[in-house]
Amino acid sequence: MIREKPWFAVAYMFLVTVFFSSIVIGLTQLTREPVEANERLAFERAVLSVLPDIRIEEMTRPKIHNMFVETIEEPNESSRNAYVARRHGQAAAYVLPISGQGFWAPIKGVIGIETDRRTITGVAFYEQKETPGLGAEITKAPFRNQFEGKVIWPHGDPIEIKRPGETLGENEVHAVTGATQTSNRLEIIINKALEQWRDQSAGEGGGDQ
Amino acid sequence: MRPIGAENRKLIAEGLWQNNPVFKQVLGICSTLAVTNLVLNTVVMCVALIFTRSLSAFTVAVLRTLTPRNIRMMVETLIIAFYVIIVDILLKAYWPEMSSSLGPYVGLIITNCIIMGRCEACANANPSGRALLDGLFNALGYSFVLLIVAGLRELFGMGTFLGLTVPYFSGPYWDKWIIMVMPPGAFFVLAIVVWVFRSIQTAKENKAK
Repeated sequence: MIREKPWFAVAYMFLVTVFFSSIVIGLTQLTREPVEANERLAFERAVLSVLPDIRIEEMTRPKIHNMFVETIEEPNESSRNAYVARRHGQAAAYVLPISGQGFWAPIKGVIGIETDRRTITGVAFYEQKETPGLGAEITKAPFRNQFEGKVIWPHGDPIEIKRPGETLGENEVHAVTGATQTSNRLEIIINKALEQWRDQSAGEGGGDQ
Repeated sequence: MRPIGAENRKLIAEGLWQNNPVFKQVLGICSTLAVTNLVLNTVVMCVALIFTRSLSAFTVAVLRTLTPRNIRMMVETLIIAFYVIIVDILLKAYWPEMSSSLGPYVGLIITNCIIMGRCEACANANPSGRALLDGLFNALGYSFVLLIVAGLRELFGMGTFLGLTVPYFSGPYWDKWIIMVMPPGAFFVLAIVVWVFRSIQTAKENKAK
């Protein structure tokens, strides 16, 4: 019987692999566009969500994209690596991308800063793989809203993440309960990005005094 | 529709209860522990598992007369991986939020022993219809236990159910059990659930004697 022949097993495995792989490859090609659009949109959504007076919760996907195109400008000479949000032709805020190693995988996000380069307007994360229910709570409103209006580096580190329950200074926020590792790493990520940004834009007025 | 034969009814009862994959066969519990801290994640995981398990059992059964014995496990793994990758691609393209919160666990369905176990135990030696039914009801039997575990963990750990507030548990009087959300919590809840179900089963079996 042909099934018993030694070459049959090899040929059979080969054919089966080719068959199933080509379907998977085909499907990957078909979904490439939505996958890339999703990644792009996640970033745009994060950028817009850290700006004050913009409510994107009820917005549709195309609307978010249009708004991003209209209001956000690519990083330029004086903003260094931060995106610039424009309103009526004027710079209204900076949006600084941040990224670094989280507890499980890299965390990527953005941090919004007012034109005084000291006051935070918000933070958002568009890529993270922290523990659901613990570290991943950094993407939820209760944690993120804490950053609004904080003033960076009055003394020491730009931002400090304190244990839940401690009293807070004007550059301090509470950590996520049960997610010490994520919180510590996030503090490092944010501070590194802010310090780098400050050093780069130092001496241009409005920066460090 | 044809009435369900006695044989098929036995298959259904075995998958759901007498030979339940989690509390009787104790197979594939790795993912039970990993994703059950949020009910919504668990629901998606269960749907992915039902899809993968039924269709892989079906495909293995269709190919069973053709597949050489000595390479059958390779072919089975390939087929399982094929369906899991389809789920992964679809989630990435059309439900990116869920895809990012499940992280690597979707891919890990491939190594879920229960799928391989059913392919070996049933799909290899039975016609495709029977294999599909066996796969489907084993997956359902697995899912309902998973959902009970997830429901308890989310309720005790976060005071919510499917992200919705629950009276008393969401209030200030409920001190959230952080351990429930963390991986060790799954061990405790799973052990208790298995204990309860096995006690009911044993009591019934003794009565039957």
